[in-house]
Formats: sequence, C-alpha cells, structure tokens
Amino acid sequence: MARYGMVMNVKTCLGCKACMAACSQWNQTPFWAEDGGKWRTRVTELQEGKFPEVKREFFPTICMHCVNPPCHSVCPTGATYINKDGIVLIDYDLCLGCGYCIEACPYDARYEYEKEDLEKDEFYFGEDARHHQVHVDKCTFCVDRLAEGEEPSCAATCVGHARIFGDLDDPKSEVAQLVNSGKAKPLGEYMGAQPKVYYIK
Amino acid sequence: MDLVQQHTWGWFIAIYLYLGGLGGATLALGILGELRFNKSKWFGIGTSLLGLAILSFGLIWLVLDLLNPLRFLLAFWVKGIAHSWIARGMVIIMGAYIFGLVYAVAAFFEWTTFKKWMGYAAMFCGFGVTTYTGLLLNANVGIPFWHTPALPVLFTVSAFSTGCAMIMWVLAGKNDHESEHFFHAVEGFDIFLISLELLIIFAYFDFARLGNAAVMKSAHLLLANPLFTIGFISLGLVAPLILEAYASMKENSKGLAAFASALVLIGGFLLRYLIVWAGVFQYPHGLAG
Repeated sequence: MARYGMVMNVKTCLGCKACMAACSQWNQTPFWAEDGGKWRTRVTELQEGKFPEVKREFFPTICMHCVNPPCHSVCPTGATYINKDGIVLIDYDLCLGCGYCIEACPYDARYEYEKEDLEKDEFYFGEDARHHQVHVDKCTFCVDRLAEGEEPSCAATCVGHARIFGDLDDPKSEVAQLVNSGKAKPLGEYMGAQPKVYYIK
Repeated sequence: MDLVQQHTWGWFIAIYLYLGGLGGATLALGILGELRFNKSKWFGIGTSLLGLAILSFGLIWLVLDLLNPLRFLLAFWVKGIAHSWIARGMVIIMGAYIFGLVYAVAAFFEWTTFKKWMGYAAMFCGFGVTTYTGLLLNANVGIPFWHTPALPVLFTVSAFSTGCAMIMWVLAGKNDHESEHFFHAVEGFDIFLISLELLIIFAYFDFARLGNAAVMKSAHLLLANPLFTIGFISLGLVAPLILEAYASMKENSKGLAAFASALVLIGGFLLRYLIVWAGVFQYPHGLAG
C-alpha cells in the first residue's frame, strides 16, 4: 500500500508536451476531438507579467488525486472510487455519464468520452482500442503501468524532470522530500480537496 | 485565478431542476389541500398525479442529458448514497412516486387513516425533491456561485412558489367554498414566498458584491442579461408580487391571480436556467491557460 503523488516542477517544464503525447497514446485519450482535443494531462502556456517584463511559462496539469475528492463525493453510483494506493479511479461499467463529477472537479481534470470518441479510438487503435463504452474519463496515474512496476507514462517521458512521481509515504522518495521540505505546494488548497499533486513554481 | 463559465450542464438540466421542483411542490401542496383544507378526494388524487406527471416529464430531460441515455438504469444503483445528491435524490424521487401513488389509491378507496399517513410521507418526499435540486448544484465546490447555502433555500422557495402557481391554476375554475378558501390560502402563501425569494436574491447579490472573483463574475453575467433583469426579476418576481397582492384584496380576481401564476411559472424556469448558465469555475491559476 502506497500513497502515490506527483510533483510538477514548473521551472523545468520545457513545454515540449511529450507528456501529453505519451499519455494520449498510452491511454488513448481523444486527441482527435475538436477545440484542441481532450486530455488527461495538459500543458498550458501562460504569459506572465506585462511588456517589457514579460515571460512565457509552461504549466503542466493533471488529475490531482485528491484525498477528499469532490468528484468522488458527488458520484451517485460509486463508479468513482479511491484505490488502496490513494489513486482516484473510475469503474467504467458503473459510470452513469451524468457529468456531475465534471462539474464538481475544481481542477478541470475530467472529460466525457463520447460515442464519436469510441469510434475514433477503434479507427486509430483497431484491436488495441481500450475504450468500449461511453464514460467520464480522467488520469489514472497509469495504474496499469504501476502494476508492472513502471512509472506513469507522462513522468517516464518527461525530458525536463518536471514530473516527479513517487510514494509520498516513503521519506526517501524524491516526491516526499520535495513535499516535506515545503518546496512543493498543492494548488487551490482553500477548496479543501487535499490534492496529492504538488507544484514547484 | 482562472474564471471559466461552465458548459457541461445546460438547458436539459435546467428543465429538470425546474420541473423536479415544480412537480415536488405540486404534489406536496395538492395533498396539503386535501388533508388540511377539506378539498375533495379527487382534488388530492388529481394534484398528486399531476405532480408526479410533471416530475416524470422532468426526469426524461435528465435521462436525455446522460452520455448514453440507455444507461439510465444505473441510476438505481445508489451506492454513492452516503455522499452524492444524485443518489439521495433518486431515493427521494422513488419515495415521492411510491407514497404519492399509494396515497392516490388510498384516497380513491377512502382509507382515511392510511391515506393521511401516506399523504404526509408523500408531502415530505415532495418537499425533499424541491430541496435536493438546490443541494445538487450546491455540491460543486469549484463553482462558488453555486457553492453557497443560500442556493438550496432559493430553489426550495422558488419551487414552492411555482407549485402555488400550479395549484392556483387548478383551482381557478372552481367556485365552491373550499376551493375559494384554499385558493386564497395558496395566494397568500405565494405572496409570502415571492417576497422571500426577492429577499434571498437581494442577499445573494449583496454577497456577490462583497464576495470573491468567480461569484462577482456570475453576478455580472446575470445582471448584464436581460433575461434575468427583465425576464426573471421584473416579470417573474416583481410583477406577479404586485398583481397577486392586488388580486388578494379584490373580489372575483382569480383571472388576475392566474395570469400572475403564469408569470411565476415562466420566472421559475428562467431562474433555474440562468443560475445553471451563470456557473463560473474558479480554477487555480494555470489550469485553464
């Protein structure tokens, strides 16, 4: 039993979006969707400051795998659940598709995997298609890769070491040290969801 | 901080929230009329079935809003009842159907004591339906305009106001003594409810004026929308309040009250639609780009 978390180092994110590519290929998220696709993880480009004191920053986001997740609180059927390692997951067979969790998530981590997305998934991935029914989708910390001892695909592919994944309960892990030292802090603490993804800004 | 207007929920959810509240309130007020205002058994049966029919029509829109409407049966799998207002709502709605229908049967066969208890249970569930529609939106912590304890109160008051309007319509054509008595009781109750609704709306916007950025944005969206200022506030609240207050002081003024009721019914829908529309997420900076 672990307590998995991630640290995002905004200072070292290059904005290459390899994490988005890796995630979308591994998890078959609808990169084909209109308005820039649907993603489990995103890197947004921020323009900070005003000319001439202006700089561009890349901001990686993902499901925060909260300790007290609002999405879990509102799910009527129990489709959203928290596994023994503290990862917030969705049982697709139980997902009603009401969208309540999408509305409840204060971190914009969820999206609808719609009928047309299923068709495209089969078109692009053929027999390897992983989505077979409409459901709400979100990051799973690549729970299938963890089971085989591998890191989530986004962290494994990150060239800038901007995504650091590990067990927050293991004091020797890099994530635990960054979090315990106070260097990495969660986003939107005031909302009370207690996220397990932390940011170094 | 990034402020983003929500787009996941729209017309369909607004229609459901409106009809759910209206149906629940019609059920509760109709049975109240039969049990406590000496209205006939047919009035009790008719209004309870009318309330359930309105609720059923609303539920159709809720099902149509699902990603795959055919999966609606999963809604009966209420495993999340300990924390989810959709799951709790399902149980309350089922209670309204069961007790409402049993009440109607008991009223038909005139099983007096049994009818009374089933009627009270149905009224309780009808009240629950009106309240839960507000609590449903209230649970969305990322949308501060919804995440306030005032919203369930506002929706409950509005639902009962529209319920009163529906009951007044049902009673408008009847001239017997009990109908007159109940009509005026409902009319008075509606005047109180509309006044209360205006107070809650005022408190809501005063809170928004002092409140956080997302609440302010929601309030600005509403105040800049003529559907809200002219449609809901002027024609859906102030006009029916004046008309009903005037009608309550005059004899033979049921037509005027019925017209005011139509405005209340339209206003009730506008309120649900506009509150859903004006939901603004308050994301931590960076999330929305």
